[in-house]
Amino acid sequence: MIDDIRAWTAELAADPSSLIFLRLGEALRRRSQIEAALKVAVAGLTRYPHLPDAHDLYARILSDAGDLERAFDEWDMTLRLAPTHAGALKGIGFLYFRAGENELAVQHLEAALQETPEDEGLAQAVERVRDLLQPPPLEAAEPELEASAPAPTPEDRVLLVDAGGLPIRGRLSDPTGVEIGERIGALLAGTAREAARAAGLLGLGEWQGLLIECTQANLCLVKPTPESFLFEVQDLDVPIGQLGLRAERTARAARRWLEAMR
Amino acid sequence: MSRTYLTLLDPLTRLVGARGAMIVSAEDGLVVAEFLMENVKGSALAALAASLANRVARVVETSGRGAPRFMQLQAKGGSVFVAPAPADLILVLFTGPETAAGAARLEMLQAVERMG
Amino acid sequence: MRTVEPWVAEPLNAFVTESSARLTLLMTSSGQVVAQHGFAGALDVMSAAALGAGIMASSQELAALMRWPPFRIMVHQGRAQGHFLCRFQTPRGWWIGLVVFGTDTSLGLIQLFFDQLVEQLLAATPHEEKPREVLTADFEAELNASLRALFGR
Repeated sequence: MIDDIRAWTAELAADPSSLIFLRLGEALRRRSQIEAALKVAVAGLTRYPHLPDAHDLYARILSDAGDLERAFDEWDMTLRLAPTHAGALKGIGFLYFRAGENELAVQHLEAALQETPEDEGLAQAVERVRDLLQPPPLEAAEPELEASAPAPTPEDRVLLVDAGGLPIRGRLSDPTGVEIGERIGALLAGTAREAARAAGLLGLGEWQGLLIECTQANLCLVKPTPESFLFEVQDLDVPIGQLGLRAERTARAARRWLEAMR
Repeated sequence: MSRTYLTLLDPLTRLVGARGAMIVSAEDGLVVAEFLMENVKGSALAALAASLANRVARVVETSGRGAPRFMQLQAKGGSVFVAPAPADLILVLFTGPETAAGAARLEMLQAVERMG
Repeated sequence: MRTVEPWVAEPLNAFVTESSARLTLLMTSSGQVVAQHGFAGALDVMSAAALGAGIMASSQELAALMRWPPFRIMVHQGRAQGHFLCRFQTPRGWWIGLVVFGTDTSLGLIQLFFDQLVEQLLAATPHEEKPREVLTADFEAELNASLRALFGR
């Protein structure tokens, strides 16, 4: 690399209009010689103001230097000159990701991937951002700690409703497979109010959960947030003591999901 | 008050943290028998526990999962345990946070069996 | 809600909300309606109040005959509807509550929250006003004033 830099520097000195400045600038950037890279890039841009690769190089160096705003402007200019420039699409996608604008990030990264489908690193980045756009299902949000940990509750046995009883997430079916989420949600709002009233009027403070053992299943109602309720159904072969723990785990996942939605 | 019912309630009141046990009419929410500490409002506990139990029963019925056998309302300051009993009655146990739910559940289910 | 005495409104509203009662009438022991809240529908409220007061008066007489203390509460329980009558003392004299309730609540809850209503009414009663005595000569005028206030006639 150092030999290359020497050779390219000599070549550029001999011919300032040489496009070798692109390779030299990139090599200096990779060695974190930001000042030198900037000088090379700016000099090259002065000679080639309409060269997309020159703006792309400059943007990369600015990004490394922490000047993200100007980096964005340079990549934006690059795309004006060359709308399918993979480097600029990647760069802007990266900046959007850093800003938390995942929708825009994935759009640009996917466009870059179309131009450079062999870029495995880029493909992985696209997958990662896509995953962030679709939060994990309620039952999979907690990592399994050990192989013997209980399997997550299937999503058709977990229902998240808002304070008014409207389903937010999850599904609930009766044993015959009929969807009953809306009806249960409507009943849960009143049940939760009753639980809160009972706990309050009896001097027990804030209610935390309702565990219900039935002849054919065990049910649990918890409050992930003050404005939502989570209802979970478990088979009888799951010990009732585990029901509360599972519900708490699902409630934690629900809280994270609700926060992500906001 | 029926001596039989008081005999049923006695073991429940001996659980650690128990503050009161009652037999309540599920439909009316009225006290049938009670064994309470001094500062526990029996009529309120009866009415509220019965109301909650009825709502839970509707949820269970709609879910198609049979009938409720046992229920625990957990709160910061304690719990209310409810178990449906024969003759449209419910058994209610009111406890502090130190009461072991497992022991409460076993005692209540045994008491319900004796009521049958 | 209609009420002759404005300080009745808040406790009565709270009672109806908590108890899920269908209809609540508060009346004097002579059957004059003090407040009304709920689904009266086509019910003749004045007649219902008069009958409720009459039932309580009869039960007092029965208790006196039996040499029992006066009954405080009377309940008529039907299959889908119940009536709860309760006599309670206020600085304005004895009042009666007539509560109509359905299957979405229970007698226990009605009693629980009616007791709270009584406590709240006692706390809310303005103390500066002397209890008004209903004199026979003024009875007609008082009744008409109550009717106008309640029904805007």
